[in-house]
Amino acid sequence: MSLEKTVTNLLGSDRVSTSYLERVAYSHDLAPIPHDIARLFNSLPDIIVKPQSLEEVAGVMKVANRLKMPVTPRGSATWGYGGAVPTMGGILLDLRCLNKIVSFDEAKGLLTVQCGAVWKDIMDFLERTSWELPVYPSSAPSSTVGGFAATGGFGYGSLEHGSLVDNVESINAILPTGEKMMVDPNSDWVTPRQLFGSEGTLCIFGELTLRLVPRRPSAAPFLAYFHQLSNAVEVANELVRKKRPFSLILRAFGFVRAREGALLSPEDAESGAIIFGYYAGTPHQVEEFLNTFARMVTDRGGNPRPREEAEFEWSERFYPLRIKKLGPTVLTSDVLVPSNRLIEMIQYAWQLGCDASADVEVENIWISPDQVLFFPLFLSDERRAFRYLTHSAITKKLIDRAITTGGRSYGYGVWNSFHFAASEPTRRKEFAKLKPLLDPNGVLNPGKTFTAKTRLGFSLPKFMYTGFLETLWRLGGWI
Amino acid sequence: MSDALLSKLQREDIFVCAQCGYCVKWCPIYDRLGWESTSPRGKIFLLKRMLEKNGSNLFTSNSRIASEFVQRLFDCTTCGRCTEKCHLELDLLDLWVKLRELAVRQGLAPDSVGLMEKTLIGPKNVFGMDSQSRRDWATYTGAEVKVQDQANIVYFVGCVTSYAGRSQGIAQAITAILNHIGENWSLMAEEWCCGHPLDVSGATQGYREIADHNVEAIEKMGARMVVSGCPGCCLAFREEYPRVLGRKLNFEVVHFTQLLDRYISEGKLRVPKLHAAVTYHDPCELARLGGVVDQPRRVLGSFVEKIIEPEESGTMGRCCGSGGLLKATNSAISSDLAEKRLAMLNRTGADVITSACPSCDQSLVEVSSKFPDSKRVQDLAELVASQMGLV
Repeated sequence: MSLEKTVTNLLGSDRVSTSYLERVAYSHDLAPIPHDIARLFNSLPDIIVKPQSLEEVAGVMKVANRLKMPVTPRGSATWGYGGAVPTMGGILLDLRCLNKIVSFDEAKGLLTVQCGAVWKDIMDFLERTSWELPVYPSSAPSSTVGGFAATGGFGYGSLEHGSLVDNVESINAILPTGEKMMVDPNSDWVTPRQLFGSEGTLCIFGELTLRLVPRRPSAAPFLAYFHQLSNAVEVANELVRKKRPFSLILRAFGFVRAREGALLSPEDAESGAIIFGYYAGTPHQVEEFLNTFARMVTDRGGNPRPREEAEFEWSERFYPLRIKKLGPTVLTSDVLVPSNRLIEMIQYAWQLGCDASADVEVENIWISPDQVLFFPLFLSDERRAFRYLTHSAITKKLIDRAITTGGRSYGYGVWNSFHFAASEPTRRKEFAKLKPLLDPNGVLNPGKTFTAKTRLGFSLPKFMYTGFLETLWRLGGWI
Repeated sequence: MSDALLSKLQREDIFVCAQCGYCVKWCPIYDRLGWESTSPRGKIFLLKRMLEKNGSNLFTSNSRIASEFVQRLFDCTTCGRCTEKCHLELDLLDLWVKLRELAVRQGLAPDSVGLMEKTLIGPKNVFGMDSQSRRDWATYTGAEVKVQDQANIVYFVGCVTSYAGRSQGIAQAITAILNHIGENWSLMAEEWCCGHPLDVSGATQGYREIADHNVEAIEKMGARMVVSGCPGCCLAFREEYPRVLGRKLNFEVVHFTQLLDRYISEGKLRVPKLHAAVTYHDPCELARLGGVVDQPRRVLGSFVEKIIEPEESGTMGRCCGSGGLLKATNSAISSDLAEKRLAMLNRTGADVITSACPSCDQSLVEVSSKFPDSKRVQDLAELVASQMGLV
C-alpha cells in the first residue's frame, strides 16, 4: 500500500495532503535561504500529515519506520535554522492540531499541555488563575510548546526560573520508533535534559507537564536609556547579580545604522543602548528593586524611564522582528555568551555590520547571571542574491567568535550543525550515542543537528562549508 | 497581462513578511482548514516563491501552483484580521484584493466570481433581481418611505437589505427611526448596488460606472449625509469611491449605528429599557475595517440591562463567514464559519444576539437551525425600533 493510502487510513483524507502547493508551503521556516544553498537539500516534503492525537503521531512514526521514510516534525516553524524543514523530503508532521490543555492541577500548579499548544494561548489561559509560566519564548504569540522544548527552552523568565527543562515535571514523548514513553528527571535511561534541545531528532514532545510559578502579588516593568553601551552592560550585569528580575534585556544600536558609523569602542557615545525587563515579587520587593535599578542607572549616567514607557517596551517584547520593515531581510544567529564577554561580542557584531555594510541591532536576553542569549539582527536583502549570500557568512563568524569567548551556538538545525562539535563536544557525543538507540532506522528529522546531509546523499564536510562562507565573506568585501 | 497591479510597496512587503506566524491562528480560514497554504503567512511565502521565479508574470509563469493558489485567495473572508495582527504593519487585506483582481484579469478566478459580476452589472444588484423591484421591501414591510429630489440625509439601503426577505426588517426599522426623529431624508430614486462585491472580488471593471452613478445621484440631491445599515455599502462610499473616482465626496458617510449613537447622545432618542442580556457581534467591515466599535456598544448600553462581550470581539471580532464573497466561492466553509461564530455568541448565555450588518445577520440565522437552543439574532436597528414600538 502506498504511503499516502497508509497514512490516509490512519488519519483520514482531510488531514493528509500531497498537493504540490501545500508541500511548497511547508518547505521552509522563518529564514530565507539563498537558493544556491537551499537546493543542496530536498526540503520539499512528499506528504504532509496532521495528527490530532499522540496515538496518531505514534502510528505515523510506525509507518515511517516500516517504510524507512524520513519524518520532519513541525510546530509553528518560527526557528530559523531548518529544524522544522525536511532535508530529504518524506513525511512532514504538522503538530499544530495537538494544541489542547490536557489538565490543570490548580492546587499544585501543574499544567499538562500538548506539543502544538501556542505559548501565548497558555499565558492567556493562566491569566484567570493564580499561576503563571516560569519561562516562555520571545516568539510566544505563535511558537509552540514542542518547538520551544526542541530548540532549547531559554527565553523570557529564564533569568529567574532557568530553562524550560528546569520547569518540566514530565514529558509524554513519542520515540522515533513510535513507542510512547513517559520521561521525567528520574527516568532510567533517558532524561528530559537529554531530550531538550534535541531539535526534533530524538523524540517528539507529545505532551509536557509544566511546573508553574505562583503569580506574585506585585510586578513592574523597568526601562533605562544609556548613551554608553559599556555602562548599560555594567548595570545589567550588576543588577542580575544583586537582584534577580524575571527578565532583563539589553538592546544595543536600536535602528542605528552601522554602515554610517565607524568601529565601535566601549565608550562610544553614539552607540546607545537600552535595558528593560520585568520584576515580580511582593510590593515591597518590587519597590525596592525599582529604587535599586534607578540608583544604579543614574550612578552610571543612564536615564531611568517612567513606568508607562517601560510598560510599552515590555509589551513590545514579542516583536523584535519589527526591524524587518527596514530590511526587508534579517540575518541572525542566536548564540549563548558569557555575560562578562558580552561587550566583546556586541563590538564584534558591530564590526561585522560595518564590514558588510549592514545595519545591525543586538538583543541580549540574560538567561542567568553568567550567560546571555545574544541575538543580533543584521539587515540585508535576499533579493540581492550575491550580496545576501556573502552576508550569510555573518552567522558562521558569530558562532566562531562565541565559541572563543566560552559560549556556543544556541541551536544547530541544518545551518549550524557544523558548529555542534566545537560548541558542545560532550553533549554531541551523548546525542550521537542516543540517536541510534532511540532511532535505529534514522527516520526522525534526519540529516541535521549532527550533520547537514544533502540531497545527493552525502553530508557537507565542515571544511567545505567553512571555506565556502569565508570565501564569500572576502568576496563581499570587494563589492 | 503582467502583475503591475501590485504596487512596489506590496512587492516589497512580500519580502518584509517575517514569516513569524503571528497572523496564522487569527485567520478564520486557517482555523477551519488548518493547512499552511490557507494561512496569510503561507500565502505570502507562496507568493514570494512565485515572485522569485518570475515576478513579471506572477500566475502564468507559475502554473503548477497558480490555480490552487488562486483558489486560496478566494477561500478568504477578507476579514482583515491578518492585517490587524501583523506587527510589521503589512496591509495584507489590500494585497489579497489586488491579487484577486489580478486573478480575475487573467481569467483564473472561480466561475462564481464571473457569475456575480455578470449578475451585478446587469440589473445592478447582487441577486440578479429585477431592478424595478428594489424598493418592494417598503410595500412588504409597510415602511413609510420618502423619495425626494432634495434631502439632508440619503438612506442607502443596499442589495441584501432590499432583496433578502429577512433583512428587509432592517430597512423598515431604519426608516421608522428616521421618521421618528423627523429627519429630512430620502431614498435614492434609482439606487444601484454599491459595488463593494466587485471591489472585494477583484472584478473591478464595472465598478467606476456604479460609483459614478451613486455619487452623482446623491450629490444632486444635495445630501449632507449618506447613512446605511450595511457596513459593506459604507466601506464602498467611504473608502472605495474616493479611490476609484479620485476625489473626495461632498457628503459624510455613516453607518446607522453611528447615527443612533449621535441621536442618543444628543438626547433625540430615548429607548425604553430592555430587560435582557444582549451580546453584540462586530461585523468585520464595520468594526475592524470601519473603526466603528464603541458606538453600537454605547447604543446598547443606553437601553439594555446587560451587554455580554463574546469571545473575539471589537477590532479582533471574528468573521461570520459571509465576508469576501466566501458564500459564493466556498459556501461550505462559509457555513462552517457561521456555525463557529454562532456557537461563540450562544456561549455568552445572552438572551439576544445582535449585530449591525444584514449579511452577518443572514449568515448567523441561516445556521441557527443547527443550534436548537440558539438565541434570536436581530439587527441593532431592529432591536431599537421594536423596543420603541416603531415597528
